[in-house]
Amino acid sequence: MNSRLVITGISVLSSIGVNKDEFWTNLTNGVSGIKDITLFDVSKYKSKKAGEISGFDAREYLGKKGIRHIDRTSLLVSSAAKLAMDDAKITHEIYSAEELGIVIGSTYGSIDSISSFDLEGLQEGPTFVNPMDFPNTVLNAPASRVSIFCNATGLNSTISTGTASGLDAIIYASDFLRLGRVKAVFAGGVHGLTADIFWGAYRSGILSGSSNGDIEISAPFDKRRNGFIIGEAAALLVIERLEDALERNATIYAEIKGYGCTFNPDKVSRDDIDTTQGVRCISIAMKDAGINTDEVSYISACANSSVTGDIMEAKIIKDYFGDNADKIPVSAIKSMTGECLDASGSLQCIAGILAINNGIIPPTINYQEKDEECDLDCVPNNSRESEVKNVLINSFSDTGNISSIIISKYS
Amino acid sequence: MDKRIVITGVGVISPIGNQKDLFWNALISGTSGVSEITSFDTSPFKVHKGCTVKNFNYDDYTSNGSSREIGKGSQFAIAAAKLAIEDSNVDLNNIDPERAGVSIGTTAGEIQILEKINYIRHEKGEESVDPGLFLKHPCVNMPSNISIEFGFKGPSTIIPTACAAGNYAIGYACDLIKLGRADIMLAGGSDPFSKVAFVGFSRLNAIAPDICQPFDKNRKGLLVGEGAGMLVLESMEDALARNANIYAEILGYGLSCDGYHITIPHPEGNGVTSAMEKALKSAKIKPEDVQYMSAHGTGTVANDKAETISIKKVFGEHAKNLAISSIKSMLGHTMGAASAIEAIACALAIKESVVPPTINYETKDPECDLDFVPNVKREMQVDIAMNNAYAFGGNNSSLILKKFTG
Repeated sequence: MNSRLVITGISVLSSIGVNKDEFWTNLTNGVSGIKDITLFDVSKYKSKKAGEISGFDAREYLGKKGIRHIDRTSLLVSSAAKLAMDDAKITHEIYSAEELGIVIGSTYGSIDSISSFDLEGLQEGPTFVNPMDFPNTVLNAPASRVSIFCNATGLNSTISTGTASGLDAIIYASDFLRLGRVKAVFAGGVHGLTADIFWGAYRSGILSGSSNGDIEISAPFDKRRNGFIIGEAAALLVIERLEDALERNATIYAEIKGYGCTFNPDKVSRDDIDTTQGVRCISIAMKDAGINTDEVSYISACANSSVTGDIMEAKIIKDYFGDNADKIPVSAIKSMTGECLDASGSLQCIAGILAINNGIIPPTINYQEKDEECDLDCVPNNSRESEVKNVLINSFSDTGNISSIIISKYS
Repeated sequence: MDKRIVITGVGVISPIGNQKDLFWNALISGTSGVSEITSFDTSPFKVHKGCTVKNFNYDDYTSNGSSREIGKGSQFAIAAAKLAIEDSNVDLNNIDPERAGVSIGTTAGEIQILEKINYIRHEKGEESVDPGLFLKHPCVNMPSNISIEFGFKGPSTIIPTACAAGNYAIGYACDLIKLGRADIMLAGGSDPFSKVAFVGFSRLNAIAPDICQPFDKNRKGLLVGEGAGMLVLESMEDALARNANIYAEILGYGLSCDGYHITIPHPEGNGVTSAMEKALKSAKIKPEDVQYMSAHGTGTVANDKAETISIKKVFGEHAKNLAISSIKSMLGHTMGAASAIEAIACALAIKESVVPPTINYETKDPECDLDFVPNVKREMQVDIAMNNAYAFGGNNSSLILKKFTG
């Protein structure tokens, strides 16, 4: 329980970069990955954009064989896991398969595969569906593919708490490490862009540009925001206990200092935002980390350009940090990547980790019009040089799930 | 970290009975839950049977009535949770909701809502689909609906590790209490009947035509089922302080992954043995201490054979002394709920000193030559039970329960 947990590897596949250096350069230069969707036809919808990863070819990461029947979400996360393993310089000589674990946040990325399988049965007749497509219909398939590609057998779990699942996977992995069950865990989230999820989100009216006259823009905290733009990404951390990392002379990016999870069972509406559980979640994480309100140097926000969600996050931050809230830079990287759903929490973590290592805070881009209800220092449009010691990462899911993690400079 | 975790309430919604006593009596009398599938047309298939929940009316379990439209998986889970809470005698007005959480497993979440969306768009076109359905089918709705129903504000999570999910969720719930992140957890698994699973397993020729016969030489496959099993878990101190009825203590659990193939179990059962060994180690017991095992026992040729090999590897000579049953012979495969319902069967076996049988057992298979408690329940004292569950993707889990003796 007293073990310190450190991050010894990171990997990211996103619309603004398919490796950590490219991701970081674009993130700090305020480059947007949001563009017209090419993966599927959106001509009949008013919303047309997404944070799509251009030119992703899984064969570059996983080889040419045996990947034909694997869906995009599984390919993205398996590729990211290979990158993470390289980045952490972990081999099977260092850790056996049994000492390695995989914990993946994935809720939405398999749904298109389930629907396609089901629809094929409706269209072609149920006895004509391809049994090779059946394995993609189980929600644990992405994580299981990772275990096979990376030969990691000590632990394999999937967490499906929606947009909180990326953080919740990291928290679950941290719990297992604190309990001493495995040596190193690859943890994070994944969401591969699919027609089914886009369609569902569009029809639900939660996407930017889905109503007449709305501009289609990812502008967190900006008054013009009108919904989120969906994105795709796989973002993983390699987490180990400090003593194991030191013993193998690993590069230590940062330390996971603390975390917490709460749940808000009450319906949130714009006129009735109860911040109690969000504030409590941050306070659990801060207490676990043993740091004070004036010690947070950066908040990597969950804000995704949704009208109510962004206000809620701003209110929670103000309610928890009080007078200090104005002094803390709070940036929303979803302004550049879009809302990557299950991958968003771990993507925010990687932004925070790189901020610690580079002394730069990434911006919130597309920021033009101030919203009095979101009046935080959102690092508008330009990145900022600043020493970063402790980063708070939040996920507030529409389903009520709330999670917070504190990642700190290792010393 | 040194907290001991006990089970103080159980609730079941199952193809053989919707309530602990009805379920248990049906289970020990060897009742089969199999019936013809009526929710969709099975005429294109060679197989037509499944194990569905009968006589389930959600309004019987909730005061919210049908005012909140939620999926069948959530309905099963909430009903089972209600039964478990009643069974535990926990007064929800007397607990701190911020210290109460939910950890549930599933295979497919609210698959019936997704199937409904697909059916409407296939029959009538995309525009005819009610937009209100889209946000209701992702499986995150399941734990959220439970937390909302009971007003819980502690951790609320879902682990969809397919057919092993219940064990994963129960194990993690224990961890959360041990780590001090919650005091009381509702843990278990739920799955509504999945047409997608039926189609998929039938395409793999893994579905039995009539009955499920785990470990029998002539076993012909599994039967798709549905249901939910929920447990109330709390620390021993809290349970004793409120004078609770304790069914059993959860001594430990072990997880592993084959890392071998997405659907085929490892032929030597490597992952499965590792999960059992880790569970024994975490429970700090020897293989000889186990008397009863609730097997995964799906009734497929490959699973039951690999499982038998693994049991022998881990238990050696003691394998022959184990009473092993697969209650899937009665319930079918309730998917994400299976290992949660099986954990409840283990808890009740410990409490009642009766072990449920493996029904439909006719012909001994030389490759599955262990004591599968054939056809008739057995009265025996059970101090320690092991609950095994495996899944697509090579996810393996073993949970260990012990008679509570203070």
